[in-house]
Amino acid sequence: MNPPSNSPEKNPFLPRPSATRRAEKLVRWGLRGLTYFILVCICAILLTIAVKGARAVFVPHWPFINVEFLTQAPETLHVFEVNGQTYELSDSQFRATYEEQGLKSPPDRTYAHAGGGIFPAIIGTLLLVAGAMLIAMLLGVASAIFLSEYGKRGPLLRLIRLSILNLAGVPSIVYGLFGFGLFVIFLDWNISLLAGWFTLAFMVLPVIISASEEALRSVPTGFREASLALGSTRWTMIRTSVLPYALPGILTSSILGIARVAGETAPIMFTAAYLLRDQLPWEGLDHWYDFFFQGVMALPYHLYVVSAKLPQNAYTERMQYGTAFVFLAIVAVMALTSIILRIKIRSRHNW
Amino acid sequence: MDGPTAQSPLNLRRQRDPRVFGVDRQSLLKAFFGGNAIVAVIVLLLITFFLFREGLSFFPQYREDMELYRRSGMEYASLVKQEHDRFNELLGQLVDIRKRQIRQLESEGKTREEIAALTAPMQAYFYDFSDLAIPLRDYQIAVRDLAAETYKQARMDAEQHRIDTTHTADQHAHVIDYDGTITQIKATFPQLTALNNQLESDMLVVLRKFPPLEDPSLQPLVKAFRKDAIAFTAGLPHYGATLAEWEPERSVGLWEALKTFLFGEQWIVNNNGHSLFGLLPLLTGSLLVTGIAIVLALPFGVGAAIYTNQMARRGEAGFIKPCIEFITAIPSVVIGFFGIAVFGTLVRELSGTPWLDWLPGFPIAERLNAFTAGCLLALMAIPTIFTLSEDALSRVPRVYTESSLALGATRFQTTMRIIVPTAVSGIVSAVLLGIGRVIGETMVVLLCAGNRIRIPDFSEGLATPFQPVHTMTGIIAQEMGEVAQGGIHYRALFCVGVVLFLLTLLINFAAQKIFRHTRVGE
Repeated sequence: MNPPSNSPEKNPFLPRPSATRRAEKLVRWGLRGLTYFILVCICAILLTIAVKGARAVFVPHWPFINVEFLTQAPETLHVFEVNGQTYELSDSQFRATYEEQGLKSPPDRTYAHAGGGIFPAIIGTLLLVAGAMLIAMLLGVASAIFLSEYGKRGPLLRLIRLSILNLAGVPSIVYGLFGFGLFVIFLDWNISLLAGWFTLAFMVLPVIISASEEALRSVPTGFREASLALGSTRWTMIRTSVLPYALPGILTSSILGIARVAGETAPIMFTAAYLLRDQLPWEGLDHWYDFFFQGVMALPYHLYVVSAKLPQNAYTERMQYGTAFVFLAIVAVMALTSIILRIKIRSRHNW
Repeated sequence: MDGPTAQSPLNLRRQRDPRVFGVDRQSLLKAFFGGNAIVAVIVLLLITFFLFREGLSFFPQYREDMELYRRSGMEYASLVKQEHDRFNELLGQLVDIRKRQIRQLESEGKTREEIAALTAPMQAYFYDFSDLAIPLRDYQIAVRDLAAETYKQARMDAEQHRIDTTHTADQHAHVIDYDGTITQIKATFPQLTALNNQLESDMLVVLRKFPPLEDPSLQPLVKAFRKDAIAFTAGLPHYGATLAEWEPERSVGLWEALKTFLFGEQWIVNNNGHSLFGLLPLLTGSLLVTGIAIVLALPFGVGAAIYTNQMARRGEAGFIKPCIEFITAIPSVVIGFFGIAVFGTLVRELSGTPWLDWLPGFPIAERLNAFTAGCLLALMAIPTIFTLSEDALSRVPRVYTESSLALGATRFQTTMRIIVPTAVSGIVSAVLLGIGRVIGETMVVLLCAGNRIRIPDFSEGLATPFQPVHTMTGIIAQEMGEVAQGGIHYRALFCVGVVLFLLTLLINFAAQKIFRHTRVGE
């Protein structure tokens, strides 16, 4: 392709510099700048939270992880000065130090929720995600199988697709209102795990259905035809020739769904989340079914509470950034898993 | 799919499936999967049903409350109060002027006594001015006291009526004396007219006595005060006429309740009295925040899509795409937290630097405002706009590009004149979906928009974004936790939810229509 000329300056095929070319170059650099500015912004946000949050989650000595922060319930933080030194103690420590020994406690400032750890919130989030995903996966995958394998083009299928498309655009707070109206009040479940599960499951349902359907559709028609030609029934065909190949795709989409379920605050604000709950979900139950009808703490709601209701200062920072960091880490790990899995699957099945 | 029916020497007949209730297994499975799919439709129907059931029952209740409010005379009292409030705004302007004057003198290094002596005329004028409205204030309080008792009784009565609907109206112990109150109030009309006339003439006299102020920096404030005061004085007869025309007997229609909700300019929740549920402050707040977010996200989202799809090298694009898509995975509450903890303070401190003074609205007074929320929402809208625009760009048929290049256009010209215009419908629908995402976003606006329920003052021009606002999503999240179930406030919040639901459905629908309408190359 290269011309036989030795000096590239004399190459007659190279474009001559002109005003148009300079303008083009400028616009190109402008667009590149815009693109990288977005990336810089994300990095700034993630780094701020990671750096400040790491101080709360990690400690400089063995075992290097702040066990207290990850295994205790949130408490009120007491900040006080003794002999010119400032101390921070969580409520239980403060009581143990002063009140139980009958000593007069020094004047202190208190910050609600800023002491202790976030263990109940982590457990609550995991429970919410597990239940909601179970419901959403059962409903979502079954719906996707119907839409892609059984459904015939017709008004019913159109109606279902239209509903799914529109459901995907409904704001999460509206799901919250709906869950509040239907589950919490109409069905009288109160603020409970069950209400949160169904609200979150319905919220994530459109995502799961459309992604699963896409995974099912990407299985080549030849597989189905071959199976049917061998005399299998439709269900056998789906079970043996379609689902095994679509399963990785379905799982990938569901992990992305998990990230969404774990990350949303608005739907659980008044269906499942408690401001503060000392007991863990399996403690203090009268009957086994009470488990489903109890509210739990959740990381996103806890983060909302500590960032909206607490002042920004050195004492509250630990809880705020720590919660944000742990929360972000959980969600980011899920999202990254799904992104990496998707890339791997794409390269493996190349029909 | 039915097994072969022809008899053959080989046993090719398929084994019959076991039947349950006379239906074979295949149909059962199909029905099971179909039933699950229909759940999506059912959920949509349920959402619509519940939102509308709770939301629409707001209007009859609101109408009833408005009617009680009017019949008991409280409406009249609030009208008088509006006039008094206008006067108090004038007073506020005077206080402002005085404060500025004192600050100015302090900065000149005057002592306390000197300042007192220098501001004495202004002080005296302030007292003179505030004395003018004393009769008006007394009148307002008298009328309010008259009406409040009746209104309270009427509300209790209505509450009771709602609780036991079995009782008929005549079984109620006491009959509320609406007419008596109204007659009493109407008897005070001449008093108000006289009062307003007096105020008008007094104002004109007092305005002339305005003390001279040497400081030129105060002149714009003084001018504004004079203008507003004259406008107020000129409006007094008009006020009197409106008040005299007040008709307590006119019943409130449903339409009026709907109008008050949709176009009401105030959202004031009063648990023991009459609440005002006006959507306008929330709607304008939502639209302002969304507007800022989209104006910022549009160049970034579309620009990045064009760059990644058309100009970036393969490896570069493979790096940029997942990075931007990763933003979707960041929970909104984390972004809101970043806004409240870092970004809001950062913007305010930045706005305080002297060399940025020329920008409108700088320095910013409030840390949390529509701009802070808008910037963060822009970041959340970027992945939606980017991904869908990029999709639209890559769907442009190859032939278009090749033809353009073959005609001698440069790559850049091809991109800008051929590919982007072809993909524009996809880009527009991407932007619409971005708007839909932003308008329904809750946590960022709840944390970062400042949560002040007031229609933003658009007269400030480009400084408008720096005012704190409240939004539709924010108000639901903030107030839903604390309302009594079935009460008027509870229903009002559902009604806001209905508006939000319809708005997002409309936006999504438009996006789909545009997308389908001008699809190219498929």
